[in-house]
Amino acid sequence: MKNILLACSSGMSTSLLVSKMKEAAEEKGMEVNIWAVAQDKAVSELEKADVLLIGPQMRFMKKKYEEAAEKVGVPVDVIDPVAYGRVDGKAVLEKALELMD
Amino acid sequence: MNTFMEFLERSLVPIADKMNNNRYLTALRDGFMVALPLIIFGSIFVVIANLPFLDRLIGEEAFATYQDALGPASAATLSIMGLFVIIGIGYKLAERYELNAIYGGVVALASFLILTPQVLEGVTGVIPTASLGAQGLFLGIFTAFVSVELYRFFVNKKWTIKMPPGVPDAVANSFSALIPISLTLTLFLVVRIIFSYTPFGTVQEFIYTVIQQPLTALGSGLPATIIAVMLIQVFWFFGLHGQIIVNSVFDPIWYALNDENLQAFMAGTELPNVVTKQFIDTFLVGMGGSGMTLAVIILIFIIGRSRQVKELGKLGAPPGIFNVNEPIIFGLPIIMNPMVIIPWIIAPVVVTIITYLAMSIGFVPKPAGIIVPWTTPIFLSGFLATGNAWQGAVLQLVNLIVVMLIWWPFLKVMDKNYYEKEKKEKK
Repeated sequence: MKNILLACSSGMSTSLLVSKMKEAAEEKGMEVNIWAVAQDKAVSELEKADVLLIGPQMRFMKKKYEEAAEKVGVPVDVIDPVAYGRVDGKAVLEKALELMD
Repeated sequence: MNTFMEFLERSLVPIADKMNNNRYLTALRDGFMVALPLIIFGSIFVVIANLPFLDRLIGEEAFATYQDALGPASAATLSIMGLFVIIGIGYKLAERYELNAIYGGVVALASFLILTPQVLEGVTGVIPTASLGAQGLFLGIFTAFVSVELYRFFVNKKWTIKMPPGVPDAVANSFSALIPISLTLTLFLVVRIIFSYTPFGTVQEFIYTVIQQPLTALGSGLPATIIAVMLIQVFWFFGLHGQIIVNSVFDPIWYALNDENLQAFMAGTELPNVVTKQFIDTFLVGMGGSGMTLAVIILIFIIGRSRQVKELGKLGAPPGIFNVNEPIIFGLPIIMNPMVIIPWIIAPVVVTIITYLAMSIGFVPKPAGIIVPWTTPIFLSGFLATGNAWQGAVLQLVNLIVVMLIWWPFLKVMDKNYYEKEKKEKK
């Protein structure tokens, strides 16, 4: 089971994306665990995750997350703004899977 | 134009990075997050205690009893929010230093209480609740920073008492914190004693007069507010969360102003401030999110012809009602789109001015100091924030129409561009 963690300012806008990503995963017949948190919770949730994706509006947090993520060996990336705006669950899911490989 | 935009983007990201990763500003913001549930709980009961027309419905005497019964809910949370913010900041800062976080919270709180007046009108053995609210907020923030730094300094000095192996962790922890905490608190006690020989009497009075009052006076003015609002928009234009970046500096000021209004509202006296936390959260963010994009969504439904734009309207509407607008910001897109930079920056400034004037003149009641969560839908938020006044909702409606008028020509051009591109693609 893959665990994908999303983080944005308060976990609101990324949670929109979570439901779309879950749909995309279901279509693929994959079992993944996807959840969204507010930016201050991301570090403490890292241990449960296999990958951390950040909303583009919080991309200035990347450095801080990378420091924490390195310790637990979790890849971190910023979600593509276009995919984010379109709430494109499929594209973001694929990106996440790619990062975990 | 392009190189200029690149230049701005290159200079803004490091600023945002610095502000957001500054350990003090991060702790400050996260500390407010800790207090937020309590602040909102208190706010709900202020709203319930001040329901409109209830005094006429059940009679003044019964209404007073009713208000007295509900009073403790906000008195124990909202009115002494400083306490919770201080614990939050101390905890979060200590956590960042990988210290035992709860001791960070406790040492911050105790340091603050040492600096706080412990006498009220000649009665000793009391702590005036006024000093635990917004009045003590600035002192509390500074104290939390300094006390955790001192605590960390003393912990790193390793002047701790080592326990023999086999002693339970909790016991060992409580002793290992003993020396650092004692030294930190002693220093604060010395500061308190020194200040008692100054004309200010207490540190709280000193910070309040010398720092908090001038800063809040500046922050409550229209010019500073316009600058803050424009900064938020410029950050967002580059796809950075402007509200969260600007909040980390302005929140102490906005919350302090908010609390002054709350005290006046509960005492039934005239509200002192127009610009408060709710001024921003309800009348600027509370209209579909930063940049008041609910107006843009409505406009899309009225004039949108391009398929792409219409799809986006449908996608953005449900979260937009709750003031979450990332789909619109990234999808339209608003970020890095020179076509919309004018309405994007001008509209919030115009709304700021309209709202400020309407409240200063007295057309609309000033925010009552109640914290309405920023996800509260438009009209309801305006009604609640102004202390259950319908004028607050009407002002939001007026502002909404103004924003739509400002956006109209720009959205029209953009929509037309997309529409024609789509037509070409079909052929």
